[in-house]
Amino acid sequence: MAGARSAVSVWLLYLLLLKATCTSFSGLASLPSIRADLVERHHVLSDQQLNAALAAGRSGPGPLGIYVVCVGYQVAGVPGAVAGLLAAITPAFFIIALLRGVGGAVTGAALQRTIRAIIAAAAGLLAATTIDLAASGITGAFTAFVAAASFVALVFTRVDTLWVMLGAAALGAAHKLITG
Amino acid sequence: MRLRTLAAVFLRIGNTTFGGGDPTVAALGRELVERRGALDPEQYGIVYGLARITPGTNMLAFCAGAGWMLRGWAGAVIAVTTVAVPPAIVALMLLWLFEAGMANPIATAALNAVIAAAVGLVLAASALLVLPLMRRTGYLRSALLATLSFLLVWKQALSPVEVLALAGLAGFLWREPVQP
Repeated sequence: MAGARSAVSVWLLYLLLLKATCTSFSGLASLPSIRADLVERHHVLSDQQLNAALAAGRSGPGPLGIYVVCVGYQVAGVPGAVAGLLAAITPAFFIIALLRGVGGAVTGAALQRTIRAIIAAAAGLLAATTIDLAASGITGAFTAFVAAASFVALVFTRVDTLWVMLGAAALGAAHKLITG
Repeated sequence: MRLRTLAAVFLRIGNTTFGGGDPTVAALGRELVERRGALDPEQYGIVYGLARITPGTNMLAFCAGAGWMLRGWAGAVIAVTTVAVPPAIVALMLLWLFEAGMANPIATAALNAVIAAAVGLVLAASALLVLPLMRRTGYLRSALLATLSFLLVWKQALSPVEVLALAGLAGFLWREPVQP
């Protein structure tokens, strides 16, 4: 049950999630930092739970980063979900400082290329995280096929994530019915 | 634009557009710039550009910036919460559905397949982050940064935040090749 083995306070959870969202520049780029803190360092979340949070967060409408709410819930129940929501939305308000204060100055070439380098690094971090998540999410040839098919569908087609997740669920149920 | 109208626009578009941030920001631009004339194209461009360099989820930063331009702080808070809160509730409901299905073997099989698909989703997110960068700023720079970041975290030499900081420094110092 969510929150049953929470060993971090909701405040600390918020700070850890905020650290992850504040050091990323796209929705899922916060994942490596979240996994490092909550799975590896504090042991309050399993890879299985992290995968489930990702799947739930990506199966509905809204921003990619909303999966952080599910992560918070998995760690500390409803208060954790609130912490996750606040961590997801807090960095968004930094744009007001940019709009009010520095304006066009922050769009300089050096800053742009710095951010692009961070995004490239985030891609590498996500790839490394995939290896750890696969250890719990891929348990045989069938789940490996589902993961590969999901990757191909999401990278090479414009199909929505919702349909990929629903398709995976249907495949899983059908596979179980056929193989018993 | 009245606050109630602002809330209605962000609620409708933010919660009915699937596919992540870019389609939602495009749909908001169509509504706010072309249909309602609430923002001019230059304001939209500034908010869009600054949202890309604001930490966290770009789409939420765009909503905060556009809401602030339209109605100040109240507009920013309403825009972000109307876009983030309903999807968060939907995601939590999906997570509860996942957990409730664990007692049923067919549902468990479906859930395991969804979790495997989430592994593919994370790897796809990695590819979708780095591929546009490669096309825009050259293959060598982005591929090298992503690969080095992958190795540093995978071998657990550095934490994700340390890797991102190093990548940012490298990006600041290493000028991008001029594209033809």
